[in-house]
Amino acid sequence: MHETPERLLDPEMLARLQGLPLRARLMVEGYAAGVHRSPFHGFSVEFAEHREYAPGDDLRYLDWKVLGRTDKYYLKQFEEETNLVCHLLLDTSESMRYRSNVATESKLDYARRAAAALAYLVLHQQDSVGLITFDSEVRKLIRAGSNPSRLNDILHVMADAPAERKTALAPIFHDVAKRLKRRGIVIVLSDLFDDVDSIIAGLKHLRHHRHEVVLMHVLDPAELDFPFDSVTLFRGMEGMSDVLADPPALRRAYLAEFGSYRHRLQSGCRGLAVDYVPMRTDRSLEVTLSSYLASRQ
Amino acid sequence: MLPPLFAFGWIGLPMLGWLAAAAAPILIHLWSRRRYRETSWAAMEYLLAAMRQRSRRIRFEQWLLLLVRTLLIMLVVLGVAEPYLESAGLAFAPGGRVHRVLVFDGSYSMACKPGDKSRFDRAKELARRLVDEGSDGDAFTLVLMSALPRTIVGSGGVKPATILQEIDSMQCPHAGGNLPATVSAVRRLVAEVGRDNPRLTRHEVYFLTDLHRATWGQKLLEPVRAEFLQQTRELAKAASLVVVDVGQPVTENLAITSVEATESPVTVGRAASFTVRLQNFGPRSLDRQPVEFFVDGRRIERKDVQVLAGGSASVGFSYRFETPGDHAVEARAVGDVLEVDNRRFLAVPVRQTVQTLCIDGRPSGGSLRGAADYLAVALQAGQKGSRAEIKVDVAPESALMERALASYDCVFLCNVAQLTASEARVIDRYLQGGGSVIVLLGDRVLADNYNRELGLAAGQAADQPPRDGAKVEAEQGRAGGLHLLPARIGTLVDRPQHRLDPLGYRHPIVQAFRGRGQTSLLTTPVFKHYRLEVRAGAAAAVVLALADGEPLVVEQPVHRGRVVLIGTSAEPAWTALPLWPSFVPLVHEIVAYCMSGELRRQNLTVGEPLDALPTLPTVAGSLVVQSPDGRRQAAPARTVGECPAVSFSDTSQSGIYVVENGTRPERKSLFAVNVDTAESDLTQTDVQELRSRLWPGVPFTYRTSSRGASLDAACAVLREDARFHIGLLYAALVLLLGETWLGWKMGYCR
Repeated sequence: MHETPERLLDPEMLARLQGLPLRARLMVEGYAAGVHRSPFHGFSVEFAEHREYAPGDDLRYLDWKVLGRTDKYYLKQFEEETNLVCHLLLDTSESMRYRSNVATESKLDYARRAAAALAYLVLHQQDSVGLITFDSEVRKLIRAGSNPSRLNDILHVMADAPAERKTALAPIFHDVAKRLKRRGIVIVLSDLFDDVDSIIAGLKHLRHHRHEVVLMHVLDPAELDFPFDSVTLFRGMEGMSDVLADPPALRRAYLAEFGSYRHRLQSGCRGLAVDYVPMRTDRSLEVTLSSYLASRQ
Repeated sequence: MLPPLFAFGWIGLPMLGWLAAAAAPILIHLWSRRRYRETSWAAMEYLLAAMRQRSRRIRFEQWLLLLVRTLLIMLVVLGVAEPYLESAGLAFAPGGRVHRVLVFDGSYSMACKPGDKSRFDRAKELARRLVDEGSDGDAFTLVLMSALPRTIVGSGGVKPATILQEIDSMQCPHAGGNLPATVSAVRRLVAEVGRDNPRLTRHEVYFLTDLHRATWGQKLLEPVRAEFLQQTRELAKAASLVVVDVGQPVTENLAITSVEATESPVTVGRAASFTVRLQNFGPRSLDRQPVEFFVDGRRIERKDVQVLAGGSASVGFSYRFETPGDHAVEARAVGDVLEVDNRRFLAVPVRQTVQTLCIDGRPSGGSLRGAADYLAVALQAGQKGSRAEIKVDVAPESALMERALASYDCVFLCNVAQLTASEARVIDRYLQGGGSVIVLLGDRVLADNYNRELGLAAGQAADQPPRDGAKVEAEQGRAGGLHLLPARIGTLVDRPQHRLDPLGYRHPIVQAFRGRGQTSLLTTPVFKHYRLEVRAGAAAAVVLALADGEPLVVEQPVHRGRVVLIGTSAEPAWTALPLWPSFVPLVHEIVAYCMSGELRRQNLTVGEPLDALPTLPTVAGSLVVQSPDGRRQAAPARTVGECPAVSFSDTSQSGIYVVENGTRPERKSLFAVNVDTAESDLTQTDVQELRSRLWPGVPFTYRTSSRGASLDAACAVLREDARFHIGLLYAALVLLLGETWLGWKMGYCR
């Protein structure tokens, strides 16, 4: 189902989220001066600290004034500030199309709205944002940019994204890690139904390139609670076979399996300093995003 | 033969059709597999993993749940169908109604009252509950197992309210229990009720008993035992037998086993001695057991006596009666759990004097010339306080027809030559009235005449077996033989013998001579005597024999009286006995023995009917009998010979029964009815003994909650038996809870 781009942005929600900018926790590389920390010392006018001279230091950064006053050798250090580059990775595989009876929208719609809101926030704070849609491979790529018209491009791409194919997260992460030249924030919006170890390996690759990675795990409440109470024929998505099962008898085992999967995922993210953000599609997106953004302040 | 393990009958047989509903859970399970909802599912990998992990366990749990649900329905259906244990191989009874025979053990050990209720009360309470909890259409009959089993309610159509009234009014008799007769009576009752009420297709017999050993452990002779066993097996085929033990483990009991007058007869103005015997059936000695002595309801004396554990003791009392007539003597031992045998009664006929008549067959006209003279002197000897006063009338043969013999206690025939048929009938009637006749032979006696008129029927040999009483009665006056003599009078033996044989002093008449050599009884010379031919198997007893073994004194009970035949005369020419010191005590012992019959007739055991009324004149119309519990019942009067008699057999309670003439209430006749102390030993038999010895191979259910349990527990035990289905419903309830728990455990309940 194709969404209209306008419906992906809720003005009321955006208004409430504006007070919560998306700041980079790690140092990012940008083209222009901004509010985010840069790894490049000396380019910025922002003084960082003094450091005692050590043999081999570049004498260009020697603070002569201090030397004149105190006759001691100190180096001036500066912290670069730059604009943030945010890469939104949206999973458009078939499994993202799932919506249970207890949810008001599919995981894909929820993820689209989340991505739209984040793109708006990033652009609104004069930073750059880009979008990659993927399933088993990268489908669409909008390079990061800070032009306000970029939001419109992103919304249109997301609205037109079909959800018909299988997921393969790990290759996507490796591919993206190679494609992104500048360090920035990579926000993944996906149900992450793939092998955990391969996902972790992909994330590791991203982190290896010093990207700050945020994993937004979008799940339907039915996938979390398994609320079925009668015999059900579960029709598999993404090419999986159909299964006839008695959910009450399976509930406990399913929840254990699913809980174990999520636990392994969370542990892997923690080990890689990746933010793991669970998202239930029956919960307000505004609450979920504002909670997360507030936690980053 | 063991009873079948799973022999069930069903009250609500049609309900068993609902067992088909037990298939419902399986069908629902299969049906639910065919009806399912569909949904897309993204997290299929985890669902498949869960299924791989749990598939075997899920299959097991589902089968378990199916089993529980199926069993649950089956138990509910079985419970509603009300099964019962058909251990007797009972006929299958679709929708049948139950006939319950409630057999109360009426032995007096059931009166044992260790707590606030006696065993009999507990049995009644259980019976009431059984009746209360019976279904509509059930029938109840009541039987009292006593010495003679009594059917209190024998019809199956009596309303429960009436049954309850009958149960309430039941009293524990003071007799023993006759189990063989009761089983036989119940078997007949079951057959009759089943025949009269075809809708009653199931019979249950409840023996509400304390399993007292005297009743349930009695040793039966082989033919009787085989018959009893056969009867029980037939009953068990027709009905389910349930033995309900309502007894308690009590073994301590003291009983008064006898109260006896030391001397007989008892006369006015002379101290009479009584001996009270006690038996301690318990394991604990009683050091100071008080015993009270009552005469006519007034306490006379109290004495303490030591009774060792398992032993007996005696205590004596004496009392001087001032008025003639019947007097009630009672001994009472105070306090234990069984009151019935703590009291014992004695009806004592007290006489002004003892009246005797001596028919002199050869009046001498002078003193000490004939046998009657010696006899009269002996009868009247030593009457200054040591013996009862005996009045003697000496009369010729004609007095037999002229005088009212009934006014005499004993009649002596002394050397009477012969008796006419009329005189023989007079003697016969006199014996029917309870009198006693002592026959002394002599030279005038015509033995053939005696044998014909008083002895055997003409042509009957002495060694032929005796005829039964009814035939004798029927032939009276026709064949000429009245069977009054205890022996046939044979030939005259004119050969002196100088020693007598007391035959080990076994007979009561000579027991007083044991160890008293100075009386010289054994050295009495007998010069002439008639040979006395005692019939084999007759009731006659030889009192005294000659040295060569021939009987000299023979006696037998005849009607209510007694006949003593002395084979010699009381004349010195025949024997030196009249001159010997032993003559006086021998004559007095014979009189006392003859009169003891009167005491025996008035002192009975529970269940024996009241018979003669010696202290009442001949009466016509009805008499009133007052029972120990105060009930007054009319009883028809009749005359047996010259003695009035009463027909009264309801002597189920121990105590004094008073018989009054309605027209002359001041004239009373007393009867003492006592318990048979065989029941006083409270030892019980156990169910193993019941199964192995009394009822081997007989299927029956044993229920006990008695040994230390409350009455409610006893009722619960009965309900358990009668309401088997309650257990099934409880099991269904447990399964229901189990199904809920399983469902929760398996995730079907959230």
